[in-house]
Amino acid sequence: MTENDTLPSVPLADKIDRFIQRVGMSVAWCYVLLIFVIILQVVLRKGFSSGLIIFEELQWHLYAMGVMFGLSYAQTTNSHIRVDLFYAHFRARTKHIIEILSILLLVMPFIVIVFAHSIEFFYDSYRIGEGSQSPSGLPHRWIIKGVIPLSFALLGLAMLSRLYRDTVLLIRGE
Amino acid sequence: MDVNEIMVIAMFLSFIALLFTGIPVAWVLAGVGIIFAFIGQFADVYLDTMTGLDYTTLGLVVNRLYKIMDNWILVALPMFIFMGIMLDKSGVAEELMHSMQELFGRVRGGLAVTVTAIGIILAASTGIIGASVVLLAVMSLPSMTKQGYSMPLALGTIASAGTLGILIPPSIMLVIMADQLGLSVGDLFMGAVIPGLMLGAMYIAYILIYAYIKPNAAPVPVDAKPVSWPVVLNVLKAVLPTLFLIFVVLGSIFAGFATPTEASGVGALGATLLAVYNRRFSIPVLKEVMGGTFNTTAYIFAIFIGATCFALVLRELGGDELIESFLTGLPFGPYGIVFFILGVIFLLGFFLDWIEITLIILPLLAPVISALGLDIDGYGVVDNPELVWFVMLVAMALQTSFLTPPVGFALFYLKGVCPPNVKLSDIYKGVIPFIGLQLIALFILVFWPQLVLWLPAVAYAK
Amino acid sequence: QAADKTLLKTPIAFGSHLPALGTPIVWVSEQLNLVSDGTIRMKIYEPGKLVAPPEILDAVSSGKVNSGYATAGYWQGKMPAAGFFSAVPFGPEAGEYMAWMYYGNGLKLYQEMYDTNGYNVKVIPCAIISPETSGWFNKEINTPEDLKGLNMRFFGLGASVMEKMGVSTSQLPGGEIFGALEKGAIDATEFSQPAIDKLLGFQKIMKYNYFPGWHQQATIFELLVNKDAWGKMSAGQQATVENTCKASMTNSIAEGEAMQFPVMADAKANGVEIRYWNDTMLKAFEEKWGEVVVEKSAEDPFFKKVWDDLNTFRTGYNLWESNAFLPRSR
Ligand code: NA
Ligand code: NA
Repeated sequence: MTENDTLPSVPLADKIDRFIQRVGMSVAWCYVLLIFVIILQVVLRKGFSSGLIIFEELQWHLYAMGVMFGLSYAQTTNSHIRVDLFYAHFRARTKHIIEILSILLLVMPFIVIVFAHSIEFFYDSYRIGEGSQSPSGLPHRWIIKGVIPLSFALLGLAMLSRLYRDTVLLIRGE
Repeated sequence: MDVNEIMVIAMFLSFIALLFTGIPVAWVLAGVGIIFAFIGQFADVYLDTMTGLDYTTLGLVVNRLYKIMDNWILVALPMFIFMGIMLDKSGVAEELMHSMQELFGRVRGGLAVTVTAIGIILAASTGIIGASVVLLAVMSLPSMTKQGYSMPLALGTIASAGTLGILIPPSIMLVIMADQLGLSVGDLFMGAVIPGLMLGAMYIAYILIYAYIKPNAAPVPVDAKPVSWPVVLNVLKAVLPTLFLIFVVLGSIFAGFATPTEASGVGALGATLLAVYNRRFSIPVLKEVMGGTFNTTAYIFAIFIGATCFALVLRELGGDELIESFLTGLPFGPYGIVFFILGVIFLLGFFLDWIEITLIILPLLAPVISALGLDIDGYGVVDNPELVWFVMLVAMALQTSFLTPPVGFALFYLKGVCPPNVKLSDIYKGVIPFIGLQLIALFILVFWPQLVLWLPAVAYAK
Repeated sequence: QAADKTLLKTPIAFGSHLPALGTPIVWVSEQLNLVSDGTIRMKIYEPGKLVAPPEILDAVSSGKVNSGYATAGYWQGKMPAAGFFSAVPFGPEAGEYMAWMYYGNGLKLYQEMYDTNGYNVKVIPCAIISPETSGWFNKEINTPEDLKGLNMRFFGLGASVMEKMGVSTSQLPGGEIFGALEKGAIDATEFSQPAIDKLLGFQKIMKYNYFPGWHQQATIFELLVNKDAWGKMSAGQQATVENTCKASMTNSIAEGEAMQFPVMADAKANGVEIRYWNDTMLKAFEEKWGEVVVEKSAEDPFFKKVWDDLNTFRTGYNLWESNAFLPRSR
């Protein structure tokens, strides 16, 4: 949406991106579900005086899934926000080089560190059988905590796809 | 200068330098954070610092990321985005803009005034900047372009009107500020009403005056008719669906049916029902809206995630102490210090967003302000009147941070929904006068604290 | 850095400006530095600055920070018994609570809970505060019927009790409560003590403030230290930390006891009605609490173990308590 100039096709990268987008579009239904949960909660509480903490918690569960899985989707649509003051005027070659360096030096270290730590974070929650702080809240916090390593693995994949695409394009001279 | 100070300053400078290479903002924040964490670790070993940064400490990023995920208040953001995109698809929005503008007949700048008025209404229904900007942009940018508005005026109007939501209650920013300083949310909400409306009124006055002086920037539509009864009726008919929607959202909050968070979901449903009513709804449309919501929400939150990594490392390097010790050592008088602090916040607003400023800077400032001994009248009702007043000054100063490049969230949101031919630099140009207006409003509040404190005092007097 | 110096990086769960919730740890950090002649320094990080309150246990245990200040009730989702080391509905007052902690099995069970659940932390009780209020309402509550159908913000084990009373509970964060009350999204709320509730502004829009806080007669706060970091400290340093925390128990209860009545008097003068639950209501709450305990004990053996131990202690203590103290004047 930010940059509607789609990048040239690179078969393998296209395939990976399509896969990520398919996963993303299935997860995106969580926002439709979220609307239903909110309405249900409002109706139950105001209409029947029986709002439930599980619905409150389900709301942020759904939102969190949307946000986290959206990261890789937005990467494949090239939507992440750039300050394009100078960038807009760079040659294609310069853009490819910037992209390759930024993925290798800035993005990948971040993804690897978050991914590695999130495995332990997820596993601890699973081991302890963590549930809500509220006695009537949702159980199984490991599910939502597991979203972090999963979504970051997908984001890593999307980054590798982009890295490959820009490397191929740089060599091709496009 | 000691090693920590050098590292903090180097971190800021690298961040700014890398931004201009066009690397996505989120990844610059995250990556610079990681790199400086390892620089900090190196300094601990070889330069005798005590940052404590290492691979293990960086694990805190995951805990902080999880706190973004389980934040119930932020649930409203994707919902308002959904509402905005659906409203666009439903065809209602454009009709509303068009007909409301007819109401202003031959008034120059009528459409821009309409945008600001709708911005004020949206502000009162949510505190979510991104959603208001997106909604206003998709609703009004096509009509303004069609009418031949100058691009900067159109973009500036949208960005500034869309950011009113952070000041006009309900506002997440004020909720977080109250929490940080131990102030009453009620005092802050009430205190923000007059400053917020005042700022909105200043925008409208500016647009009318500018359009009067420069007719080409805001042309009256060629087919503009004088206001007649049929026109008014048409307007009413076209306005009804959207009014219904705003009524549903605002009404459910004020009638106590829903919290502001929940009202966002009600609004999303309402927009969908409007699309159904206008026979624009279909499964492909739903999927399109869903995909748009998914994508837009994600790139906004990517910045939150990057910022959380950056802020963590900045703190561990001692960025907080650097700022605090600097401020407490200033040689100015009380009002001099207030102005200085506001100036610093204005400048920081260029690079940091309000969440970081509220969480990092504000708690450091409160004791400094309380110690100044300013005589601010709380009418015997408002607790800590000098802090309530000061928070409102900060809130007003932070209004500007949304509009100031290079990191201005309103600008990014706006860029996200603009046609590709609109450059970020067009937007930069458009917001400059509005930043000026915000600074004028800030001065007014400094010298007339009653504008802030009178309403809460009246509202909560027993 | 010299091996004989320790820096405790301590994220805290309550802002240091909050009286009794946050002020005690500031006092501890100042005293530690003095008492240890500067060999122990504690650096406090306000809530969310490094890590948000619910993440403190994880952060300390994994060594991402070496210590943290919170209250065990925050870990109820991880360990159902955790609430017992924070505040117990119809539980002991401060004196009896400390007796069980230090001279009964309390502290031993407290540490055991973290050990058996695989948390690499040393726990030290580090503050205790007086009773909380049990809620703000806009109507009088005289019978359990009056509670039915209310939407109320309530936290922790007490929330289970309220749900059994027919109240629909939510757990809004502190900053959201006022707005929700004002707009009527919720009808009632509890949060903390009068001096803290005042900061949230409840007295401006609510008419009735109910006492006693049956759900929290005394609340303990904990200092968690990463065990590896703890092991690296000398015996003298360890004793310094433990005893400074013990001194903080005295300091915090004194501070909490001293600051409530002026605030209550002020609220009263401004039209707030201070009410005391009638016997019917108190009995009803206690009965429902009994049901909650039975359910939780069946679900979690350690919950039952701690409950049984606390109960045995309290039964014994009762002989002393019922004879030793003057009746309270009302
Ligand atoms: Na607002
Ligand atoms: Na800015």
